Amino acid sequence: MTENAPLFLVIDDDEAMRDSCSQILTRNRWRVETAEDGTAGIAKIRDLRPDVVIVDLKMPGLSGFEVLKRLPEIDPGIVAVVITGYATIDSAVEAMKAGAFDFLPKPFTPEEMRFVLGRALDRRRLVLETEALRREKKVLEENFITMVSHQLRSPLVAIQQYFEVILAGIAGAPDARWADMIRKAGDRVRGLLRLVNDWLDLARIDEGRLVGSFQPFDLTALLNRLIGFLSPSAHEAGVSLGWAEALPPGPARVLGEEESLEQVFANILGNAIKFNRPEGKVEVRLTAEPGWTVVEIRDTGIGIAPENLPRLFEQFFQAAPREGGVRKGSGLGLAIAKKIVEAHHGRIDVSSERGVGTAFTVRLPAAAGESVG
Amino acid sequence: MRTIRAKLLVVDDDSDFREAMRAILESASYDVVMAANIEQATEKILAERPDLILLDIMMDSLFDGYSLCHAIRTSEKFSAARATPIIFVSAVRKIAGSRFGFKGEDQGLTGPDDYLDKPVDPKDLLARIERFLAK
Repeated sequence: MTENAPLFLVIDDDEAMRDSCSQILTRNRWRVETAEDGTAGIAKIRDLRPDVVIVDLKMPGLSGFEVLKRLPEIDPGIVAVVITGYATIDSAVEAMKAGAFDFLPKPFTPEEMRFVLGRALDRRRLVLETEALRREKKVLEENFITMVSHQLRSPLVAIQQYFEVILAGIAGAPDARWADMIRKAGDRVRGLLRLVNDWLDLARIDEGRLVGSFQPFDLTALLNRLIGFLSPSAHEAGVSLGWAEALPPGPARVLGEEESLEQVFANILGNAIKFNRPEGKVEVRLTAEPGWTVVEIRDTGIGIAPENLPRLFEQFFQAAPREGGVRKGSGLGLAIAKKIVEAHHGRIDVSSERGVGTAFTVRLPAAAGESVG
Repeated sequence: MRTIRAKLLVVDDDSDFREAMRAILESASYDVVMAANIEQATEKILAERPDLILLDIMMDSLFDGYSLCHAIRTSEKFSAARATPIIFVSAVRKIAGSRFGFKGEDQGLTGPDDYLDKPVDPKDLLARIERFLAK
């Protein structure tokens, strides 16, 4: 709308009505498109993204109400004005409830029409400006987080780099005790870096920006990839990792942000391997419930005490005993996992029995019309 | 034995990181030139003609390193330096790898030649540099 004249779409089954509306609007140097019924109207809304839609409430086929109902799915920023044939307050009120901005009772004069549509256009401008501001704010916030993370990480990375130089003997050979202490200091710096990264991840999810990059993808393929990727570390820990059934599940389409969900399952699988027993097992199961794709990850580890289960997804809570007072990991992994899953309108649950093992269940909304093969 | 010492340019906004890099590179008898931002790097590339560039990605702004890399590969100003090997040295692997990383289909020959995570393993760094200079 900023570059071109505003575009109006008139949806009315009455040809005379379409023509007169077009005449009035073009006289204002506004652009006009028309559609003769609701279905054609919806198609044109999709293709042309008009600024304002003028729709007759009573039409054969798809009614004006139906068009109003579908409008937000296509673009919630499009402003709708309804034409009501009976000038009954009832249908006008109904239309406003269904999302219309205003109504034009038939018959109306060109002046009345220009006045109502002028207001609709003001509304549209406001909507577009708000949207532009919201986007700009989002970019600023995203950049802010990235720059903060840069500022926090840079000094830690510089410290690590000096350690690397010392340990490589470039500044003279360090004796064994020095090297040992430098290595320990390096571990702590690495832990701090991980904390910074995790905390920033958490901040990012807080801003709910994941939803913007949702795309359908195959959850089975993602889990297959992770199983392959984590197999070496499972092997090293003496733990067998794989699908619960002999036959891997078929493709499972899920709508989501793949990279973040990969982080969720990598975290759960990583814990299942880490907190297992020698010759233990980690089994992955993928099933379908009505509307849900369900992933269950079951380990044969020491289990989690019942009193710790409710706190498991809290930030900085760690159920595992500390080794020599040093925390392993940031204590944010499961808090992040929960945030990500919930941003997908999913659920994450845990059940555990001491000495038997722990099972994490992640439920994600199945992509429409798809199920586990 | 090299008869003429190769000259390397380190571009990074963190002075301590630059110093640590200098220690590593000088231990292998390279000539080291340093720059803290795009402007200094531009000046050094044109004046000093480095044989290889170690380039940070995030400096004053988010993708400074990437912009500079792209400029070296495409702009007239850098035509003499166009083929200089560039190694990204950065802690933003995700960004660099997924979008701005190696020479991919979408960026033709405008990307870097290699990528190293910070902190770098000195032996790894020197081995890679050696490989590029031997070409």
